[in-house]
Amino acid sequence: AVVSTQSTGTSVASGCDLFVRFITLSRGQNAPSSEIDILECKGFDPVRKFLVDRGNLFMKRLKDSRRKIAQLAYPFISDGVTVLTVNMSRVVLEILMKAHEKAKKFKVLVTESEEGPLMVKKLNDQGIQATLILDASIGFVMERVSFVLVGAVGVVENGGLINKLGTYPVAVMARSLNKPFYVAVESFKFYRNYPLSQLDLPNDAKYENAEDTKHPEVDFTPPKYINKLFTDLGVLTPSAVSDELIKLYI
Amino acid sequence: MARDIVVGSNARCAALICAVKTFISDYKCPKTKEIRSHLNIALKPCFTYLSQCRMMCVSMENFIKHIKLQITKSSPDLTESEAREELLEACEDFFKENIYLAGKSITEKAVNRIVNGDTILIFKKSQLILHILLEAKAQNKEFKVVVVDSRPDLSGVSSCERLTAAGIPCSYVYINSSTYIMKKVTKVMLAADALLANGYVLGPVGTAMMGLIANTYNKPVIVCCETYKFCERVQTDSILYNELADPDSMLKTLNAEESPVAGWRESPNTRLVNLVYDTTPPALVSIVITEIAELPCSSAPVVLRRGAVKM
Repeated sequence: AVVSTQSTGTSVASGCDLFVRFITLSRGQNAPSSEIDILECKGFDPVRKFLVDRGNLFMKRLKDSRRKIAQLAYPFISDGVTVLTVNMSRVVLEILMKAHEKAKKFKVLVTESEEGPLMVKKLNDQGIQATLILDASIGFVMERVSFVLVGAVGVVENGGLINKLGTYPVAVMARSLNKPFYVAVESFKFYRNYPLSQLDLPNDAKYENAEDTKHPEVDFTPPKYINKLFTDLGVLTPSAVSDELIKLYI
Repeated sequence: MARDIVVGSNARCAALICAVKTFISDYKCPKTKEIRSHLNIALKPCFTYLSQCRMMCVSMENFIKHIKLQITKSSPDLTESEAREELLEACEDFFKENIYLAGKSITEKAVNRIVNGDTILIFKKSQLILHILLEAKAQNKEFKVVVVDSRPDLSGVSSCERLTAAGIPCSYVYINSSTYIMKKVTKVMLAADALLANGYVLGPVGTAMMGLIANTYNKPVIVCCETYKFCERVQTDSILYNELADPDSMLKTLNAEESPVAGWRESPNTRLVNLVYDTTPPALVSIVITEIAELPCSSAPVVLRRGAVKM
């Protein structure tokens, strides 16, 4: 039910999937009293408590993941860089705030997209120099950009990226001018799907309501345009994403 | 196999499994020896003979490794007939799990990738790819197939025959016109003889060309490969390790005239090279469908690692 309510369908779907696996597929080794083996409990109450505890641990790790990603990613921002980002992303915001905290001097360009102005406002509030640019002007600015850093709605099995509409053109542009393209994403957004083209994404990932199928919400960026992914599991290459997914699911 | 009667990595492996089963059934262990040490020694000259007739392919090599391990692992407490039964069962299980059931699982996954209105390009003849296409047709999907064929064996002709018999609209082209036809194709489906540890795909010669042209026209390349064909070898080109087939088969011309190089053996400057395999880099492959999962090509080593851990 949760999956059908929100607009960022894939991240909720993948998060729920992982949550269920996390709380059910363990045998209580992490439980405080290690004598309890979950499968040998009589009665449901200890099992329920165990599931709830695992659930709380999962939530805690989720909340921590943004902080961990910021910790890993901020060294990539050195003095004097210009960062291009697409739309509003809380993970990217966290990374930029961390870099600012460490007294790095850098500029940010944010594409307008849907929530660009909100991102610019939040950055300016923190004292980071941020400029709003039109989506159409990415070609114009790309030569002055040092690297591109975007967030993600989902990451698919081959390391490809699902993000707000307008990310794919930025990635292609970055590749053609040899600018690094980085993605900051929490590991719960790793989505079990393997699209080979834009239309391969499931409909509920693309569109907000089933009736209005004219303008998709998201687009798919193939892995060859992505240089690195900053995740709470470490800094990964797109081919490592499938490694991680195999470890998690198979 | 040397005379090209049994062709194709799955068929050759299946034939080898049958042959080994017959050998094990007829095998009588000498009184002084144990089955698990002697059977391997007895099998060795057989395998040497087979590899002299025609070089073993990766699927056959992996089966031989598996059966040798099963033989050495067999318990010394079993009687001869019990050990024999166990080994026969091991052969059967290998076939069932790795060829038959794996094929079914791959077919299921691959058929989901075929949508109505697709034009699928296949290269020559592959038992697995044909199975996938026939299954898709059985599920009433509407699609067309382009069969790309090349000399000397022209096995694409029999592919075409099987597909048209099932009612699938088929086009047939030679490999020379593959750049022309690639524009009209929506997907490319290729079979692999092996997947190497660095992600390179070993397939019948011409496969790499299909991958390259498909990439130029931005068409997805789907490689279907069972996991038992994953091997630990690493090569980045097709010359390092390959097989040479009969050079005289290249002399067959299409219009029954004598080939201009018919006298190649006498001429010191002419050599005919009939390569069997070529390697396709992982960057050219969009997806590899195995029975375990759908993977990007660069993840092949992960499967090998997991296979090693399981054993």
